[in-house]
Amino acid sequence: MSAKPGIPRNSLIWLLVAQVLVILPHLTHLPLWIIGLWLGCASWRIQIFRMRARYPRSWLKALLMIGAGFGVYFSRGSLVGLEAGVVLLIAAFILKLVEMSTRRDALVLIFLGFFAVVTSYLFEDSLVAGLYSLLPVTALLAAMIGLQQSSLVTRPWPTVRLAGSLLLQAIPLMLVLFLFFPRLPPLWSLPQAGDRGTTGLADHMAPGDIARLGRSAELAFRVTFDGDIPPRDQLYWRAVTFERFDGRRWSQSYASQLPQAPEWQAAGEPLSYSIVMQPSGQPWLFALDVPQVASAEAQLMEDFHLQRRQPVNKPLMYQASSWLDARREATSAPASLGRALQLPEQGNPRTRAWATELRRSAQEPQAMVDALLKHFNRQPYHYTLEPPPVGSDIVDDFLFETRSGFCAHFAGAMTFVLRAAGIPARVVAGYQGGEVNPAGNYLSVRQFDAHAWVEYWVAERGWVSVDPTFQVAPERVEQGLEQALAREQSFLADEPMSLLRYRDIGWMNALRLRWDSLNYGWQRWVLNYQDEQQSQMLQRWFGKLDGQTLGLGLVALLGVLTGVLALLLFKPWRRETDVQQRLFRRFERLLARHGARRHKGEGARSFAQRAAVMLPEQAPAILAFVSLYEAQRYAEQTDATDDLSRALNQLRRALPWRPAAPAQRG
Amino acid sequence: MRTRLDACLRAVNEVLLGKEAQVRLALACLLARGHLLVEDMPGMGKTTLSHTLAKVLGLEFQRIQFTSDLLPGDILGTSVFDKDSGQFVFHPGPIFAELVLADEINRATPKSQSALLEAMEEGQVTIEGATRPLPDPFFVIATQNPVSSGGTFALPESQLDRFLMRVSLGYPAKAAEKALLLGESRRDLLTRLEPLLEHDELRAIQDAVGNVRVSDALVDYVLRLVEATRTQPQFAWGLSPRGSLALLAAARAWAFLDGRDYVIPEDVQAVLPTVVGHRLRERADATGHGGGALVQWLLREVPAL
Repeated sequence: MSAKPGIPRNSLIWLLVAQVLVILPHLTHLPLWIIGLWLGCASWRIQIFRMRARYPRSWLKALLMIGAGFGVYFSRGSLVGLEAGVVLLIAAFILKLVEMSTRRDALVLIFLGFFAVVTSYLFEDSLVAGLYSLLPVTALLAAMIGLQQSSLVTRPWPTVRLAGSLLLQAIPLMLVLFLFFPRLPPLWSLPQAGDRGTTGLADHMAPGDIARLGRSAELAFRVTFDGDIPPRDQLYWRAVTFERFDGRRWSQSYASQLPQAPEWQAAGEPLSYSIVMQPSGQPWLFALDVPQVASAEAQLMEDFHLQRRQPVNKPLMYQASSWLDARREATSAPASLGRALQLPEQGNPRTRAWATELRRSAQEPQAMVDALLKHFNRQPYHYTLEPPPVGSDIVDDFLFETRSGFCAHFAGAMTFVLRAAGIPARVVAGYQGGEVNPAGNYLSVRQFDAHAWVEYWVAERGWVSVDPTFQVAPERVEQGLEQALAREQSFLADEPMSLLRYRDIGWMNALRLRWDSLNYGWQRWVLNYQDEQQSQMLQRWFGKLDGQTLGLGLVALLGVLTGVLALLLFKPWRRETDVQQRLFRRFERLLARHGARRHKGEGARSFAQRAAVMLPEQAPAILAFVSLYEAQRYAEQTDATDDLSRALNQLRRALPWRPAAPAQRG
Repeated sequence: MRTRLDACLRAVNEVLLGKEAQVRLALACLLARGHLLVEDMPGMGKTTLSHTLAKVLGLEFQRIQFTSDLLPGDILGTSVFDKDSGQFVFHPGPIFAELVLADEINRATPKSQSALLEAMEEGQVTIEGATRPLPDPFFVIATQNPVSSGGTFALPESQLDRFLMRVSLGYPAKAAEKALLLGESRRDLLTRLEPLLEHDELRAIQDAVGNVRVSDALVDYVLRLVEATRTQPQFAWGLSPRGSLALLAAARAWAFLDGRDYVIPEDVQAVLPTVVGHRLRERADATGHGGGALVQWLLREVPAL
């Protein structure tokens, strides 16, 4: 053990610091016993360094390993998958510490550390997390440098300063790679962390679902408009429509998920904007009606929502244009009308009776809708995040008993009534409004902006959107949820720490908005700097570029760089200028290929004599070349290097083309 | 000339059996106008070697047995008052011979040693104000016994440097020793030896040796060797320019003996151990005996081409 180079103190210190820094961001998804494991292993390693303890024996190592494996299994219920995998990785990262005795081990540990830093991006990729990861990387670099230093260097600060300056020097290279390196599609699909994309709209809606979102301040998406931000009451971000009702909850129909472009006519000026959405775990994208998206990946579904093939599992940026005044499926009755009239066989008898009665008095569908809205407006309906519980006939109970609910209640009930009256209608779920950030002139839409409204179909006008919530609580649409719930304490009840709760304090709000804008920039320009953005950026700089040209350009650039490096390293201009020497090197290489290598201190003649013994058939040619070489080099008889190269060619001809040994073996 | 030289070598080898390499080196040393230090145990043929060389080359031979009471005058000679002429007459010492054997040189006091060494370097002696040239050719073969060193004065490095080569004869091979035991007495053989070379011829050969061609490439090799002794950490000190000159001169003679009129790296390598071995010391053992390991390192590690 002592014969191998040990691990210097400096390196060990930085390795321990790096471990803490690497593990820290993982703590949110690590079981607590990992901390104990780290403390134990770290103090053990320190005792080993102080020669107060021994390295663990192999049975103990095996025991620790199996123990850690069981620990992971019991705390995560599995040994595979992202979460368990990361715990396993961190456990291995910690256990390797006590086993680390040679420099090689320390290097393994350091590389493992780099990998663990990368895995933390799977859980958190915000600006802060990105900046934070510079700390563990610096410490790991310092550990790496410390490993190469003499054990006499005991002051840790110069080492970390060197690591920091190395990191700073790497920034230009990092930027170049970031800007130009082609984003390759992953070779295998990366597992997504389970705690991401969990909040948000689901593909079904029970009355309380959207109310639950009202308690979350988590970001849903951010929008930058190309022009001015339109007024709030136009900002109905459609996510998905619910067409099926089973008496309790509304859900998406299968037919609406078919990629079949609906018919619509553009009217008015389009509104263009770009959206960066947070991972939602669902395939749909958010847009104002009626959208058109530049990306080929997403397309308009039959019910006018945008959908892509895969769920959105990482932040996604896309450009869209919307025609707010477009007429949708106005010319002919669409196939979806049948689904838009579906109701359960039974249940909610009072509502059904009331709908029939209303319809009888109203005749025209439009009059019916107006009457319904008026009903919501005039009767004492109450908008709340905490609706009282209802029985099995939820629509009956809501309309006639409790009369208080959230947007989902109003939208669901209104759709039910319209359907019962024979007017095709469906619930649209999405987000409404959003917070304008003056610092960056964009709109942040959060989970509490989730909303549900109604659209119904009438001949010649097509689908028309209507928001019953507006009749009950117009401030919800005009100012936002917080104002609508001013009397309740339920807004953001689940998020006591959220900065949003303190937006009454002026400077804190300004700070919050600035910070939000910074994060948005990070997302837009760093995390989302993917294929399309990259090629756009490159096009702006270099004109039209396709992937092939970019690839070729990169290869060429790499080639040039390698060439320059090679020039600097090998210094060909210092190469053997004299021709004799160059020919002799060739002679040497030729013989070396046949197994005769010249020793460093061996003269030409002794080498030739030795080679002649090894290759007796070619001996005359070898000796002829060398005596010619000697005559030129030492006797300075002639300068005719042609003779020398001729002799070399003769030798080359005399030698078999391939070295003899492999040929025989073959 | 080459054939005459070969004949000389053969003749010496007939007397000194199985020592071809050392004989060749000794001859090369003489041809390069250098002096030879032979280091070996008593009875290994040191005297025979010098005597035979003198005989074969037709050189006048003198032997000085160095002892602790030897005085410089005993080497150089003294002026003695001549009663008949009433004048001091100079009686030349044994140094005024063409080949001088300084036997057991380390037994004499430094004063006597330096008298000899000065004469070797200058080629002349100055006694009582008069400078007297030594004969030409002038060749000194000094011997010393490395084993019984009690009461001796080891030669300092500065004086070792005056010898072109230091050779050691070593035990003869079995066959050679058998031939020696079965054959005639060496002394009888010696008396029967005929000189094979005239003085003029020897001088011409020595001149020719000086004209052996040394190319740029070869000088570069010698410079690399010298540079290595001066820069590598294991050398206590580097070779002096006198050392590099000596190396080149010996290599020329060796090339000449090999029948070439130009020097190749192998010539340098052949003479390297004997020419630089006594001029180098290891840093770890600066007062030690010699640099045999260092020479091996030079041969192995310094690029020959």
